[in-house]
Amino acid sequence: MVTRVDLENTYEKAKAAVAAATSLQQLDQVRVEYLGKRGKITSVLKTLGRLTPEERKEIGQVANKVRQNLEGDIKEKQEELSSEEVIKRLAAESVDITLPGREHVYGRRHLISQVIKEITDIFLGLGYKVAEGPEVELDYYNFKALNTPADHPARSLQDTFYIRKAGAHPADNDIVLRTHTSPVQIRVMKSQKPPVYIIAPGRAFRRDVPDPTHSPMFHQVEGLAVDKGITFGDLKGTLEEFSRQMFGRESQVRVVARESFEAGIAEGGQQIRLRPHFFPFTEPSAEVDVRCFACGGVGCRICGSGWLEILGAGMVDPNVLIEVGYNPEEVSGFAFGMGVERIAMLLYGVPDIRMFFENDLRFVKQF
Amino acid sequence: MLVSINWLKDYIDFDLSPEELSDKLNLTGTAVESIKHLGQDLGNVWVGIILDIKPHPNADKLSLTTVRIDRPEPLEIVCGAKNIKVGDKVPVATIGAHLPNGMEIKPAKIRGVTSYGMLCSKAELGMGADHGGIYILPDDIEVGVPLTKALLLDDTVIELEVTPNRPDCLSMIGVAREVGAITERKLRRPSVDLAESSEEASAVAVVEIIDPDLCPRYSARVIRDVKIGPSPTWMQQRLEKAGMRPINNIVDITNYVMLETGQPLHAFDFNTLHGGRIVVRRAKNREHLETLDGVVRELDESMLVIADADRPVALAGIMGGGDTEVSDKTADILLESAYFNPSSIMRTSRSLGLLSEASARFEKGTDPNGTVYAADRAAAFMAEFAGGSVDEGVIDVYPKTIEPRQVPLRTDRVNAILGTDISLDEIKNILRRLELEVEVIDGTTEMWVLAPTFRPDLEREIDLIEEIARIYGYNNIRSTLPESSGKQGGLNLRQKLAESVKGRLVGAGLSEVLTYSLMDPNDIDKLQVPKGDPFRWFVRLLNPLNEELSVLRTTLLANLIKVLKYNVNREQYDVQIFEVGHTFWQESGKDMPDEEAMLGIALTGAWEQDEWYEKARSADFFDLKGAVESVLDELDISNWSVRQFTHPALHPGRSAELLIGEESVGYFGELHPNVQADFDIPRTYVAELNFNKLIDNASIQKEFSEIPKYPGIILDIAVLADDSVSNDQVLEVIKAAGKPLLKSVRLFDLYKGKGVPEDKKSMAYSMVFRATDRTLTDEEALDSRDKIVNRLSKELGAEIRA
Ligand SMILES: [Zn+2]
Repeated sequence: MVTRVDLENTYEKAKAAVAAATSLQQLDQVRVEYLGKRGKITSVLKTLGRLTPEERKEIGQVANKVRQNLEGDIKEKQEELSSEEVIKRLAAESVDITLPGREHVYGRRHLISQVIKEITDIFLGLGYKVAEGPEVELDYYNFKALNTPADHPARSLQDTFYIRKAGAHPADNDIVLRTHTSPVQIRVMKSQKPPVYIIAPGRAFRRDVPDPTHSPMFHQVEGLAVDKGITFGDLKGTLEEFSRQMFGRESQVRVVARESFEAGIAEGGQQIRLRPHFFPFTEPSAEVDVRCFACGGVGCRICGSGWLEILGAGMVDPNVLIEVGYNPEEVSGFAFGMGVERIAMLLYGVPDIRMFFENDLRFVKQF
Repeated sequence: MLVSINWLKDYIDFDLSPEELSDKLNLTGTAVESIKHLGQDLGNVWVGIILDIKPHPNADKLSLTTVRIDRPEPLEIVCGAKNIKVGDKVPVATIGAHLPNGMEIKPAKIRGVTSYGMLCSKAELGMGADHGGIYILPDDIEVGVPLTKALLLDDTVIELEVTPNRPDCLSMIGVAREVGAITERKLRRPSVDLAESSEEASAVAVVEIIDPDLCPRYSARVIRDVKIGPSPTWMQQRLEKAGMRPINNIVDITNYVMLETGQPLHAFDFNTLHGGRIVVRRAKNREHLETLDGVVRELDESMLVIADADRPVALAGIMGGGDTEVSDKTADILLESAYFNPSSIMRTSRSLGLLSEASARFEKGTDPNGTVYAADRAAAFMAEFAGGSVDEGVIDVYPKTIEPRQVPLRTDRVNAILGTDISLDEIKNILRRLELEVEVIDGTTEMWVLAPTFRPDLEREIDLIEEIARIYGYNNIRSTLPESSGKQGGLNLRQKLAESVKGRLVGAGLSEVLTYSLMDPNDIDKLQVPKGDPFRWFVRLLNPLNEELSVLRTTLLANLIKVLKYNVNREQYDVQIFEVGHTFWQESGKDMPDEEAMLGIALTGAWEQDEWYEKARSADFFDLKGAVESVLDELDISNWSVRQFTHPALHPGRSAELLIGEESVGYFGELHPNVQADFDIPRTYVAELNFNKLIDNASIQKEFSEIPKYPGIILDIAVLADDSVSNDQVLEVIKAAGKPLLKSVRLFDLYKGKGVPEDKKSMAYSMVFRATDRTLTDEEALDSRDKIVNRLSKELGAEIRA
């Protein structure tokens, strides 16, 4: 028959065992020893039925109290131990955060594609669409419809790649590798009514032996706007907006010297300068210089004069409009063209145009 | 066109510096290529006369000269050149001179003899590349004066880039007119004061034009008793500044007047012209002419010649003939001043590969009404500087006068095109500055403009608008943006899809390259491409730069392989690249070649690098296929499949054709080992897919589909099958047998080796079963699996372990 003292002694032992436990596992053993199905305290409670009502009341009260106390002790100890274990586990799990991350390897778009995208995005924002066309073109689209006379030097075998026609007499040479993307303009105008607002990025070919500044293949972006009331002022404004976005602070193109371009403008300088020039398919025509973004227009090793020649442009010649079936008394238009490689070379300091087509991955992945 | 500023000032007054003038010319359409200040670095260079030439005591190749300049004592100068003689006038650089070629003159002992200066060549003076020896100066030059003064070198020469539409600017008077328009000053045309003799030119010479379409006008003068000799120094100097070599007084005068007026002239030795006749006619086929450059040229009837009574004596407008050339013995001159059809001159000049200062002007269009003025001007010079006597009258054959063109111009139109508000008065002012006559139609702002014949480019209203714009100043036109409501910018769907595919490939680890659209046809041999294969349907260039770029690419493979090789050869061993570009082919019987946008991929080297957490892994067929699948996924194409593909360029066991539905859209696989060996590259995987067809098949309609409401049951099976059984075959059976409860199936393990018979493999699949309207019971799922197992064993002879 257990006495109150026995119970209290048991509790004291249990309490000591709880305090001595150093792990959740040990603590659980203590719990089982005293409070498990056959635990020392549980078994006392199980024998209560055999006692007299008075004994049952007294011992029962003590036993229950002891159980409650012990449960409280265990719970307390459990919390203490588990937080210690978490700390230990976390310590064991720590990593060297300076090890390189597992990164998926990405490739790169070619620099020319990136520059074309930059240019394209600007004109998309100005309300233009992108038009494309074949690289092998009829002389008609490449030259004739663009008001280029039959004896124009650009049409010579020295300057333009001609396709050897299967079996035809050499005199019938009327298929060329397009020398600019302007034939796309003709194709677009012939296929739709005005208004037309397009740019035509793409490959073009000239019969140049490759050297640091020449390549038989290069990329161009041509633009065309034909609508009622288009003016030379609109051409200027459009090219100014383009150059501000392309070469100014908002450009994604990563060029350190950009600030000087902005500074040059801020001092009241023009962003662009137009010089009259001659192209067969535009009149009036202009060569367009952009304020040098390396020096801001004071003159440097890259630009010499403070200006960089970037574009050719002009009002679409009435002969071209007539050729595509538009009425030059009703609509007018402007057109412009720029060499993508040249712009990329100037912006990024690429020294040799041939690098674009060698595709050394150490070059491709720089940008 | 090289323009001496001093010479230009003969015709126009302006007080701009050469730099200021150049800026203005640049901004009005005459590009200035260079500005060269002459006479710089020619301090301490004098005109000297050679008094004595002795052999150098210690050196065979040197001589010791005594030269007098403007000093009391003559100078002793050692000289190596042989083209000097006593009495020659030569440039002498004295101690202290800093020559343009960087040379500094100091007293120097040359082989034991002290030399107190240097006799100079043209090259040493920065006056050209003439290395023929010491520059022998003209005889009439004053000894002792500074060379810059003697040679009128206190001058600046600007080089103009004259656009092909402005032949009038190929003359000093034309440039002066342009400068006058810019600076609002009046041009001074030199007046000609010509004293004629009483003998009539038409009495001794006859001009006949047989082909007036090619030669609308021929004017000629006869000048007698000329004495051939050097032209005056000032004229020689002006020719030199314009880049022409002085020859003799007669030739120099024709060149000088051409430079001045833009009208090319030709002087015949009149006494060599048979019959005193000039006949302007087409050449006969296989007629020959020896031109002034000593070349005998075979002519044909497309070419225009100047003939005498018997034979051709000049290639009209391009070059004179040797037989009738002015020589030291020439006494009488027939001076030609003609207007030729520009395109005829251009064609002949091109077909003979013969360019001259004259043809360059004729082919762009000279002034048909300027022939007599130029002839008179030259004749007057011949009288003055060659002692000639000018016969009375110009023989002038001009069957149909070419009148100045009347061009209509509307003020409103000017402003509508330019976006300006230029007044009628301002327009009139600008046009008159350009020497265009303006006649305003009463009560309107419209006008007739008379375009002079020296401006063949002014034919249409728009040509006049351009003139107004450039003189008004492009940079004075206010900038605006088009105000249209008709602008709807943006990429179209195909363009967006194309961009997203390229972005996805970049995301998959591939870098974009751009290669020439041209290729080397020999690379097709290296690809083991058989005869007749479409890869050989070359589009050939008529005029390639070289064999390597002589055909348009029929495949992207060759150029991609070359990029890969280029990198591998430079220690870039891991190459994962793609290109989207056109390929081209020529179908026989078709005129126009075809072209198509293709996507090419090439992989070699490590796909995964050695990392601290895993070992490196080389790219293989399935990395390639993964890249292809990523494209299909980007475009949401699901109805694709692959089948075995055979091409001599590819490894027969590791290549596949990609089909979308029934349509082939390309192939991918490992390059054949022989091809790898031929190109000398490591193991390489390539793909070439039809980019347009891929985009055609993009599925752009996406719709929400219900997220499963009831849980599914996942069951795995392992299929032990013959090696020849493909994953696709297994999947097909599983999917067919699993209907309708099987929702998805995925291969998650593939095993060959221990525990699996030699010619078999074990493929483990994970399957998800689910019903859409209730929670599936285990029995239902197991039942479905049993059906699958039965079908697999029946149809593929496979053994299944559940
Ligand atoms: Zn600069």
